[in-house]
This record gives sequence, C-alpha cells and structure tokens, in this order.
Amino acid sequence: MFLTRSEYDRGVNTFSPEGRLFQVEYAIEAIKLGSTAIGIRTPEGVVLAVEKRVQSPLLEASSIEKIMEIDGHLGCAMSGLTADARTMIDHARVTAQNHRFTFDEAIKVESATQAVCDLALRFGESVHDEEAMMSRPFGVALLIAGIDEIGPQLYHTDPSGTFTRYDAKAIGSGSEAAQSELQDKWHKQITLKEAQVLTLRVLKQVMEEKLDQHNVQLAQVTPTGFEILDETKLQEVIEAM
Amino acid sequence: MPDMNSLAHPQQHQFNPYTENGGTILAIAGEDFTVIAGDTRQSEGYSIQTRYAPKVFRLTDKAVLAVNGFAADGNMFVKKVRQRLEWYRHAHAKDMPLRAIARLIQTMLYARRFFPFYVYNILGGIEEDGSGAVYSFDPVGSYEREACRAAGAAQSLVQPFLDNQIYFKNQTPAQDTSHPVHLPLHSVLALVIDSFTGATERHIEVGDGLEMYVVLARGNPALQSLQDLPGAEEVTGTQAEERVFVIRRDLKKD
Amino acid sequence: MDHFPTNWGRPRNDLSDAYGTFPLAQRPYNGGKDMFAEGVKHTQQPIVTGTSVLAIKYKDGIMMAADNLASYGSLARFKSIQRLHPVGKYTVIGAGGDMSDFQYIQSILDDTIIEEFAASDGHTLGPVEIHEYLSQIMYARRSKIDPLWNSLIVGGVKDGKRFLAYVDLLGTTYSASTIATGYGAFIAQPLLRKAVEGNENTLTEDAAMAILEESMRVLYYRDARSLDKYQLAKITADGITVSESRHLQTSWSFAEGIRGYGAQTQ
Repeated sequence: MFLTRSEYDRGVNTFSPEGRLFQVEYAIEAIKLGSTAIGIRTPEGVVLAVEKRVQSPLLEASSIEKIMEIDGHLGCAMSGLTADARTMIDHARVTAQNHRFTFDEAIKVESATQAVCDLALRFGESVHDEEAMMSRPFGVALLIAGIDEIGPQLYHTDPSGTFTRYDAKAIGSGSEAAQSELQDKWHKQITLKEAQVLTLRVLKQVMEEKLDQHNVQLAQVTPTGFEILDETKLQEVIEAM
Repeated sequence: MPDMNSLAHPQQHQFNPYTENGGTILAIAGEDFTVIAGDTRQSEGYSIQTRYAPKVFRLTDKAVLAVNGFAADGNMFVKKVRQRLEWYRHAHAKDMPLRAIARLIQTMLYARRFFPFYVYNILGGIEEDGSGAVYSFDPVGSYEREACRAAGAAQSLVQPFLDNQIYFKNQTPAQDTSHPVHLPLHSVLALVIDSFTGATERHIEVGDGLEMYVVLARGNPALQSLQDLPGAEEVTGTQAEERVFVIRRDLKKD
Repeated sequence: MDHFPTNWGRPRNDLSDAYGTFPLAQRPYNGGKDMFAEGVKHTQQPIVTGTSVLAIKYKDGIMMAADNLASYGSLARFKSIQRLHPVGKYTVIGAGGDMSDFQYIQSILDDTIIEEFAASDGHTLGPVEIHEYLSQIMYARRSKIDPLWNSLIVGGVKDGKRFLAYVDLLGTTYSASTIATGYGAFIAQPLLRKAVEGNENTLTEDAAMAILEESMRVLYYRDARSLDKYQLAKITADGITVSESRHLQTSWSFAEGIRGYGAQTQ
C-alpha cells in the first residue's frame, strides 16, 4: 500500500482513481501504532481497559488519560493520536449535555456515537472565506461504552467516521491478537467481573511491559453510571487474574 | 379636562401582532389513561370566526397537545413541535417520550421569551412507566406535571370545578372512607363533558363543538368500552401499544 | 468550536436556515449589514382600502362577492377596482384591507403559478396549497412586525373538493362554510349563516347568488365605505368565472320619512 503512493496522497479530500481517500486510510493505519484498548459488553454493563505506555520511570503514570467520561452513562476509551480525541470527546460531551437540556433525558449511546462521527469528515478546505476547522482527518479510534433504554452497548469509531457496534472490540497495536482472543473468550452470559478479568488478561498478552496497576486503566459503565476503577479496585481485579 | 397634549400630537398607533381567539382546553390524567379536550369554536371579539377549528392535536401515539390563545401562534407552534418530533425520530430511531416532549416545548417557548408565542399549552399522554400524565405550560415555557388542568377563556370557570371534583378540594370524605386517588375513565369523561357544557352556558367564547382525545396505556381494560362507544374514533398511528381515540360532541352554538 | 451541526459548513452569506435545529434562540448571522435597515418604513396603517368580502359554499362549489370600491379614508377614491383575483385554475382570492398590499400579494401568487406551470412536473396548486402558502407569508410578515394589511378569503374547488378559508394580517386562519370579512363579518355573516349552514350541499347557484346579492345590498345600505357596484366569483368543477360588475338596486325613498334623516317638515 505504501509503495503505491501517488499525487492523490496530497489533497486530504481528493479521491484516487480507484475511489480511495488515502489520507483517511493512513489515519486508520495510525491507530495501529497506538496503545491497545479493549471494550467488552456484558449484560450487566460495559468494561473498558487501556494499556498505558509508561516510557520512563520518571513519568507520572496517572497523568496518562486514555479513558474519559462523556456523560454519566457514557464512557470512552481511545487509541492513536489521543490529542485528537479531545476535540471529539468535547463535542460528545456538549452534545450529550445539550440533549439533556432540551429533552430532559440521557442521550442514546448510538446518537452520541453518531455525533462524534459527524465530526470525522469535516477536515479539508473551507467553504468560501470561512476558516477551516481541521486540516487532516482524526488520527484516533474510540471505543464508546454506554447504557441506555436498549441496554449496555459498545461502539467503535474510526477516522473515516464509520461506527459499528460490538460485543467485544480491541483497537491499537495489539488489536489483532487481542481481537481473536476476545472472539474465543466472549460469551453471551459473561459477567462484569469476568469481563474485567478478561480485558486485563488479553491486555497482558499483548503488552510488552509486565502488567501492573500503573500501566493499565480500567473503567466500566453499569446502571449506576460511568466509573474509572481506582487503584485499590484495579488491584483487586489484577489479583483475580 | 382632557389632556390637551395628547390631542395636539398625531396619534401614534402601533401594530399589535397578537389577538385572542377564545375557547377553552382541559386535560385530566388517570392512572393508566389521559383525557385531553378542547372546544372547537374560534372567535375574535364578539364574532365567531368558525364553529370548527381544532385546538387539540395528536402528536404521537402517547402524546396529545392542546393549544389555546392566539390561534395563528398556536397553529405555528404545533407545526414546529411536529417538525421537531420528526427530526427526533430520524436522529434517535424512536418516538419522543412524553417528558422529553414536555421539556422540548419548554425550550421552544423560552427561545421566544422576548417575542412569545401567545399560547397556553397543555400536553397529555402516557409516560414511559405507563402512567397517565398532564403537563401544563405558560406562554414562555414554565411548566409542571399535574393531574389536571384547564386553560383558556373559561379557565376561571372550569379549574375550580376540577379542583373540587378531581382533587376533592373542600370535600370531606364520609366516616371511615377516603377520596379515590384516581378516577375511572367514564367518570373523567363525564366531568369533561360537564365542564364544557357548563363553560358553554356561561362563557360566550366557548361552544359549538367538543373534541376529547383519550390516550390509553398498554393493556388498559377500558379499551373495549371505548371501541364500543358510539362516535368514538380511533386515531392511533402505526405500531403503538398505546391507543388514541377521539370523541366528538356537539355544544350549544349560541 | 461550534457544537451545533446546523451551523457547520455554511457559506458566510447563507441567510436561509434549511434545517433550523439548534440553537433555538440565536444563530450566528454571517450576512452583510443592511446599511438602510434603520430607514425602512413598515406599513403602520392601511392607506387605500377595500371593504368587506363575502364567500359561501354551495352545491356546486364556492361563490364570492366583493364590491369595486377602493377608498382613501372616507373618500371613494377608485370605483372600478377588482378585489376578486383568480389564482391558477382552481382558486380565487378575495381581499379587503390595503389595496397596494393586495396587489403585491397578487404578484407573488401569479409568479408562483407561473413557476409551478413552468416546472410542468404534474403538480398543480389548488386552493388548499395556496391558502397554506398565503398563511405562511402573512404570518411571517406579522412576525417581522411588518404586516400585509389585508383580510383575505381563499376559495376554490379541486379534485371534487370545495375549500373556503380565511387569513388575515395576523396570520390568523380558519375555514368555514360562510366567511365574511370587515364590516361584512358583523352585518352579512348572520344572514349568510342562516341561509347556508346545513344547506351547503343543496343550495343552488341561483339561491347562492341571491343571498350574496341581498347581503351586498344590506352592506351597501349600512357600510359607508361600500359601493353599489360589485362582482361575483364562482368556482366550480367547471372552473372559475368572475362576473362583470353588477349594479345593486337600492331604494332610498324611505329615508325621507325617517325623523332626523330626511328633510323634516315637522
């Protein structure tokens, strides 16, 4: 793929004669360089887990944030150019709050996901003399977890603005190995506890460093809401592995 | 002595973008149903413009909106609410729940805080939990959920009657008994008809026709009796487990 | 960042809001500034005015009547103005109120009909559509506090359906089997209702014509801004006919005998 580089690489919104948008495809490639993130849907709720690459012993591990809250019932894990996710999550948060303000109800997981994806293809040239907001596609993929009237759901979004619903999904550098492991281990009646342990087990397999409470982050969305597991709770799950 | 200054200067008269078109609306929530009603007369001053201008509108299979005040604003408002309901359906793949419609109506009314829709809204229907509900609004969007509400020209005649008959105000229950919390459908319909015949007698802007919408919650046992009721027409939309009926009655035309 | 998707990707001079979702209250205005905005004068009052319009449903369709007078205050300024205007093949509108605003409305509707004809897409505008369109225009103008100062009756027949409805400067609308605007709402409406209500499907053309003529006569006796020259419009399944001007036979000899009115001998 990289060998067929051509002039169609230049414009961010120019189709190649084969009908491809290279910059978008490269952005999707960028995700594969990111740290691994995993999401698992269970009947009790959704679990999110991410690997934190602690590059140096002097690095404060708690300053790496790869799981964020969107709304009380919505959480999100990311992989890739995580700085890009700020724009997307900011938009998701505003959209979710605006929905609560206007309709006095929590936004549906799919609607919040759709709102994020609406942003994805807004890169490129401006209209008339308006300022362009973004010059390139997002370089990040998200796992959006949430609960609404339909039940617990997990969505995956990519830089093309496509979103898909999964029972279990892995993104990032270890995603291929992780995904096949999830496919093996996931079942319909999986409990939240089992899912917490499974995410860490899978992460452990694909991580280069030894997994401990500092280089992973675990979160869940249950009927009580979104929660990032604190160090003690995380420690319990690690011990249960 | 008349103020000479006011005569000396040319009269500045400003265009008034509002008028009042009379009529009255009313809604009562039961345990598992809601009745939303309105008369059909539209008037301006002492003139009857038409004997049939609906003020009550089915929005979804679980929500009915009654609109009273300035008719042009009312019709435009209903049109805009319906548009928003359709957009919501497209965006979220479901009908908007009643409490969400109530909040939406607030934001729409308040958005026009400084050039208000001169309308009093009463929203009735079935909540997500299957209970009957009534929401009432003022023209700029203040709202609350209630068991019953009358609005419009004959509000001051009908609301005290409802306070007495629904909330049992100024009534003391007989020894060892208590007032019922919810009334059955047939009693509510009788109260609505009495309210409007009464208002028609005493208020010149009320009369001609009465439209009563009945929204039944899933599995409401009153369904059969409504289907058998002569003159009751079912207006339920497509899927819906809730059922919507409209019952029409004549009111005096004088 | 602007979080409202409707504001995304809009050119600077895009004035229309095709979707109008969020935000509800205010939307950034990117258009140019109207340097003369402060100098714009809105219609604050009608100047040259027409009086009542009457219309009824009858067996074969709709019949309307309006006199030929356009007044300038109390001056009978123009005495052969037509206030019944056919729009397309199925509709007639009748107007009271400001005649220049009415002529503006006529030009809008005529343009619309031409556009619709030119599209030749099988759609034809009937009275229902024209009334809805007119209502939106009238309501939009009142909402700008710049009303078109008219009371309009829209009547017509299309696809075997009779339609008769009203719209005015406030955007107020209604439909009924008899409609009368202006002074006619007080004087003619009771006469029309008595003759028409309940008889919409049996009332003959001759009877309809007679009741309208009688109502116009009563109006001419009582309304000081009316004229004894009027036209009738008839809309049936066969199409529209607007009559030539007709003259009302009136008799004023009785006035002589009324104390305080005629020349008094005692």
